Amino acid sequence: MKTLEITALLLAQCVLGAQTIDRTKPPQTPAIPSYKLPPITESKLPNGLSVVMAEDTRFPLVTVRLAFQAGSKSDPANLPGLSDSLATLLTQGTKTRTSRQIAEELASIGGTLAGHSTADALILSGSSLAENTSKLFNLLSDVVLNANFPQDEVALQKQNRKQVLLAERSESAFLAREKMSELVFGSHPYAHIAPTLESLDRMDQKAFVNFRDAYLTPNRAYLIVIGKLPPRAELTKLIQDQFGSWTQKPTPAYSPAKPPESKRQMVLVDRPGSAQADIRVGMLSPTYKSPELFPLIVGSAILGGSADSRLFNDIREKRGYAYDAHTEFDRRQETGVFTSVTQVRNDVVEPAMQALFDDISEMSKEPVKADELTDTKNYLSGVFLIRLEPQSGLADQLVTVKIMGLPNNYLETYTTRIRSVEPDQIEAAAKKYMVPEKSSIVVVGDASKIQKALDKFGPVKVTKANP
Amino acid sequence: MKASCVSLLAVLGLLAGHTARAADVKIPIEKYKLRNGLRVILSRDSAVPVAAVYMIFDVGARAEEQGRTGFAHLFEHMMFEGSANAPKGIHSKYIKSNGGFDNGSTHPDYTDYFETLPANKLAVALWLESDRMRSLAINAENLTNQKEAVKQERRLSFDNRPYATAIVDKWPSLAFENWQSSHSLIGSFEDLNSASLEDVAKFFKTYYAPNNAALVIVGDIQIADAKKLVETYFADLPAQQQPKHPDLTEPEKRQVKSEVYKDALAQVPGVIVGYPGPKRRTPDYYAMGMIDVLLTGGESSRLQLDLVKGKQSVVQYEGNLGWPFEDVSDYRDPGIYGLFLLYKPNFKAEQIVAQVQEEIARIQKEGVDLKELERARTFLRSQRIGSLQSALTRAQLLGKYEILDGDPEMINTEMDNYLAVTPAQIQAAANKYMSASKRDMLEIQPAPPAPAASQPAKDTK
Repeated sequence: MKTLEITALLLAQCVLGAQTIDRTKPPQTPAIPSYKLPPITESKLPNGLSVVMAEDTRFPLVTVRLAFQAGSKSDPANLPGLSDSLATLLTQGTKTRTSRQIAEELASIGGTLAGHSTADALILSGSSLAENTSKLFNLLSDVVLNANFPQDEVALQKQNRKQVLLAERSESAFLAREKMSELVFGSHPYAHIAPTLESLDRMDQKAFVNFRDAYLTPNRAYLIVIGKLPPRAELTKLIQDQFGSWTQKPTPAYSPAKPPESKRQMVLVDRPGSAQADIRVGMLSPTYKSPELFPLIVGSAILGGSADSRLFNDIREKRGYAYDAHTEFDRRQETGVFTSVTQVRNDVVEPAMQALFDDISEMSKEPVKADELTDTKNYLSGVFLIRLEPQSGLADQLVTVKIMGLPNNYLETYTTRIRSVEPDQIEAAAKKYMVPEKSSIVVVGDASKIQKALDKFGPVKVTKANP
Repeated sequence: MKASCVSLLAVLGLLAGHTARAADVKIPIEKYKLRNGLRVILSRDSAVPVAAVYMIFDVGARAEEQGRTGFAHLFEHMMFEGSANAPKGIHSKYIKSNGGFDNGSTHPDYTDYFETLPANKLAVALWLESDRMRSLAINAENLTNQKEAVKQERRLSFDNRPYATAIVDKWPSLAFENWQSSHSLIGSFEDLNSASLEDVAKFFKTYYAPNNAALVIVGDIQIADAKKLVETYFADLPAQQQPKHPDLTEPEKRQVKSEVYKDALAQVPGVIVGYPGPKRRTPDYYAMGMIDVLLTGGESSRLQLDLVKGKQSVVQYEGNLGWPFEDVSDYRDPGIYGLFLLYKPNFKAEQIVAQVQEEIARIQKEGVDLKELERARTFLRSQRIGSLQSALTRAQLLGKYEILDGDPEMINTEMDNYLAVTPAQIQAAANKYMSASKRDMLEIQPAPPAPAASQPAKDTK
């Protein structure tokens, strides 16, 4: 690009004032700034409802979360998906409002309100223009306390969820996640990530009412409120008025089966016509409360947490096998899963699997390099800051803190704890959790094209993609 | 920095009189132009110590030449392959090691690149962005590697997924007659293979010139310092001859089309309908925007209440002016109002399309009552404020308003145009643009027999 440089030089003569800089070196900048979270206050109603509030006056909005210890792991054994379907149905009718009325009232306050379930929690997420905060709370308490699961709404939800399930099951990535959960969690309730056509058939009004009455109680709930809030006394009274009459209940018994020990197993989910192979390598991993948490967060990011990670640089940039290669560290209350993921074209499945295994194993063979450790710590610290920018970002972080039972200073100390991770801690964590020989391997793809390649890595169990 | 080298166009943020009733939020804007034609927009917000840097180039996939489908996107990949002072891998490494993240994306009419990072790291992003504009590493190794990455992206995001191939390859060929718009924007493997180093060098010189771009910086910055940095890193980039925009005109009289696509990976039937939309930033355009909110905005939208709930025919839907891209900024002119609906297998595509047309006919005949319109306005206003929370979203909006409309101040004023739309304008726009005789349609049929999900499944209790 010689010509370009010459022209640039000529033009530069006119730019008298521009600072002379050495373009060959990156500019020197100060350390990443520290950021103080807005003050977060916490209180508890007599019925056990925890209330967490943070003021954010930048925009005339309020954001709420009402999170219950009632995720999909609490689904009755024969009704996988119940918690999530229930979360959807909460906003589809109450004793005094039809689903249409709820939807229209929400739109008229510039609001949203919708439920979904994760493995550990059922979460109602809402927002509105700040001027309508009291109306939003009125709707929130109505759907939580008075949802009545109308027969026609239940029937429609079941029909539509079946179609959505079919659509999900036509996605390769969904099939891979679903099979991986089955393999690593065994008979623990974390094993299911979706309903089945059969469980949807079995869900009825009674099942929803029973689950709601048992699990959606104030003593299992956390109310998180962020935004341009009314004066504190007014807000406290509003919350007391809307949720004070809600009665607490004893916690239902919960004694899950233990997840199986991690062991090497390989399943090929046959999806005829697949244009590529989805590969996942996964193992049980620590929870939020483990001392290995931060070493594994940093180790996972070094291996596959960004566009400058080992997997990305090796499998995509160096070898050109894939568009995407990354790691996932899914932390739950009782255990976590650490997974390495890539999707490669059919003719390179064998070398890609080998490269993936080698990259994972490398993490426990020698200490990570000083510069990749520093880079990754900076990345995790900076991205943490950026995620807190919208109200929903802070709200979701606070849901995690509460549902996972983390100390109140978790968010404030996150960056310090990331920065204190040492190479030997990462190596120790990698020796336990980044071990292909003990991992479950799931490949979703066209068996007629890729099974031979997989056979070279040990016994393969082949299953069908479609129900 | 010498002020003589910077032509200050306007300090828009200081204009009095704009009480932003619309968005209830006023975004401060300072816009100026460097001598080489680079448009610069700065917006300060000190709430969170974060800055978003957004580079937008006035070229997209609709500028591609025949035999080079997918080239704009392939080129976007090349922008991450290194430059004179930041060799391959360095861009992402430095953004990461400075606590940020970065990406780029290719759209029909523009291509963009961004970094979000801690605000005091601004210089790093500007150094990297200017270095690749100045001295991109165009070589065979990078090109071969990125051809593979793009093909693999195509397999991942399109070829291996239900609906996606129909949407990206087939739908544009129905919705548009002009090849610039009707070709596959992700491109064919054959065309990607044909791309040469000369193509890359020519595209770079023609379109990635400062006078064909805008640079937006939003966040916790000091305006004076940011200006100095912009001057330092960008002022000596050479201007090029202003590139021509592709001719995007569609024939006055167009053939409406209806086709069936057999999708081996789909299990739930789907259908796309589309209507050619009005010219950007006209009253009709804003009226169409309000029609979109009435039809698809939130849980109280007409498609939700009447089709998902009432007729119980549709399972999921999405739509907007500019679909299948995510928003109205993606197509300059002319955009399509597109709707994509998944429906229950006991219905036929024609029935679903008729039901959608019936909803439109209601608007054509009866218009909309003020209560429903007021609800739609509030919904839209609230969505907009919510999206403005992110510095990156604000930067993207400012950049797109500049490149597509030449007026970043629209971030503060455009909502008023939507809120001012009257029931009569809505009715008129529905009649003018959304009649059945102007509608294209693509039915996506699952190719394998879909399991009969509407039947009660066997009880395995």
